[in-house]
Amino acid sequence: ENSPAPLPERAIYGFALFLGSWFGFILYLIWAYIPETWLFSLGLTYWPQKYWAVALPVYLLVAVGIGYILLFGINMMSTAPLDSTHTITDNFAKKQQQKKFQEEAIPALRDIPISEVNRMFFLPEK
Amino acid sequence: MAEEWRFRSASGASIALRRRQHSASCRELAVRGPRLQLHSLSAATSAVWLAAYGLFALSENSMVLSAAIFITLIGLIIYLHFVKIDQESLLVIGSLGIQVTSSYASGKENTTFIEMGQVKDVVINEAIHMQKVIYYLCILLQDPEDPQGVSEVVPLFQSSKPRLDCLIEVYKSCQEILEQRKTAPQSS
Repeated sequence: ENSPAPLPERAIYGFALFLGSWFGFILYLIWAYIPETWLFSLGLTYWPQKYWAVALPVYLLVAVGIGYILLFGINMMSTAPLDSTHTITDNFAKKQQQKKFQEEAIPALRDIPISEVNRMFFLPEK
Repeated sequence: MAEEWRFRSASGASIALRRRQHSASCRELAVRGPRLQLHSLSAATSAVWLAAYGLFALSENSMVLSAAIFITLIGLIIYLHFVKIDQESLLVIGSLGIQVTSSYASGKENTTFIEMGQVKDVVINEAIHMQKVIYYLCILLQDPEDPQGVSEVVPLFQSSKPRLDCLIEVYKSCQEILEQRKTAPQSS
């Protein structure tokens, strides 16, 4: 039901968005560039201040730039510090059940405690 | 009986590991970082004083120069006393506990003692630290309620950050002593 295939409805939505965005852009250009007196003489008086025609794009660009730094910072804040137990285990590992060991079968998947892993890696077997 | 090896830290600085065996169940492992170098100290001082002289030339205010000297002195004292760790050592006594000591460049020493009943294991753990994945040695503290659980992780050698080869040496030495706990159980 969620396939990305091109459907007729999607083509229509796309075209409507295309026309709508062109209309919005032309409207923005008219608002920003045409002097107020000309617009008043046409009877269109209820426009926002032209200050916003420059302010809003600048706000948007500054927000995008801050967003990069913010995302970086949020990532660093969510990383577990070196002294937290989250670097070793978590709720799933604590609550896992031990499956019985069967002969001739591949052992069940489980979270191996860090002491065991360390012994296997770093202490050579005699 | 003391042995010494040279290794590298995670950032590439040269560190030395010294191992002393005091008895069959007592070992001391010390990691020494590089001393404060004269050339880096004079480079930092010259940079601060040149910047202060530049400010003085712009503002004609002689307080800038005395402020720069003051800042350099105070900054150096704070750095030596609170930031620059010369040596971090680990003293493992089989039946008693583990003592962790950090010695600062000004002579200050910070000591923490963890008794053996609380120590579950000493392991090498990997974690993400400042856009890098580093190996670090840590002491796992036992959770009093849950025999399999870990209540706390105490990272060791935080400022010298040795690389894996040094950590493996320290790990093997610690495990030799910790294994004696299982073979010779003491009544607690």
